[in-house]
Amino acid sequence: MVEIEKLYFTYPNYDTVLENITFSVPTGQIVAILGANGAGKTTLLKLIAGLLVPDGNVQIRIDGKTPQQISGQIAFISEAGTYFNDLTPKAYGDFLRDFFPAFDKAYFDMLLDFFGLQERSVKKMSKGQKAKVEIAAGMAKRTPYIIMDEPFVGKDMFTRQDFMQALSGTLTGEETIFITTHEIREIENFVDRVIILKGNQIAIDITLDELRQEGKTIQELMKEMIGYEENSFYSFLDKTD
Amino acid sequence: MLDFSELVLNTAEPVYAQINEFVKRKIFLGKVKKGDPLPSRRELATLLKINPNTAQKAFRALEEAGLVLTPKNTVSILYFDEELLLEIQREMTADIVAEFVKKLKENKLSFDEVTVLLRQEWEKGEKE
Repeated sequence: MVEIEKLYFTYPNYDTVLENITFSVPTGQIVAILGANGAGKTTLLKLIAGLLVPDGNVQIRIDGKTPQQISGQIAFISEAGTYFNDLTPKAYGDFLRDFFPAFDKAYFDMLLDFFGLQERSVKKMSKGQKAKVEIAAGMAKRTPYIIMDEPFVGKDMFTRQDFMQALSGTLTGEETIFITTHEIREIENFVDRVIILKGNQIAIDITLDELRQEGKTIQELMKEMIGYEENSFYSFLDKTD
Repeated sequence: MLDFSELVLNTAEPVYAQINEFVKRKIFLGKVKKGDPLPSRRELATLLKINPNTAQKAFRALEEAGLVLTPKNTVSILYFDEELLLEIQREMTADIVAEFVKKLKENKLSFDEVTVLLRQEWEKGEKE
């Protein structure tokens, strides 16, 4: 259970990114945090992961504790990457096994194999391959809380679908997951709930079942709330061709 | 085993409702029989790329609808009695007719026009 009440966050340059954010997430729920670029999605994820600290005395509570107190139970899978450039995937796995008590080396190796990753230092890999190392490492931590910041970056459609299938097949239903992505289509039938950030605040917080009962898709909701259309850059490309 | 690989999920209805509808349709078309086993929740989640809680919810909805039994420590199986089968048949047929009539009304057709067209179409099918 994650509880957030009246959370504010301001960066040291006085740029306020989040204001009055309140919501709670029961154990096992899969939540998409969406919004335009700069809406504060990544900041919110970093706060939940304990990588940033909220303004004032407000604290995020995860099972009654602060994120920092249970950091070993949170996996943060990020576009930026948390791996070490000089290590090979397997050496990185050995490092993680020492650090995370529940690290599942067999599962990690299985995922590396599944993604077709070779043993060479991460710095020699493509962007897509690096993202796969990041995902395999994050999932193999087998933590009850998983935070995914743009996990699909650098992956083609088939890899995205393979990944969704691997993810669906390996979750137990006990994991609480927060995910941000621009690949809305991949998560339409996967997430339980959508929270859209706009102008530093929550614009809407709705379960997928409620959304469907209103006859809307996540894409339509995004368009309605923030005028966002997935892959709208294609029309831009068409015009500049 | 009940094969869900033909189920293509849309983004218009809740996933569990689509799974429920898929099973009902299989029963209606007589493609499955009482006692057929279902995949496990995890197998269903993996196949449809949905999250395990949604698969769980779909099973619960099927059990509540009286279409699936999950005996202790074993796989879930399809189960329905005659009464439920009749109800599904009524529901499926009524749905088609309701949708059909709605579209005809949208196209501003009268009942008499429709009966003529319906008879033509029906008989055309029989001649072929």
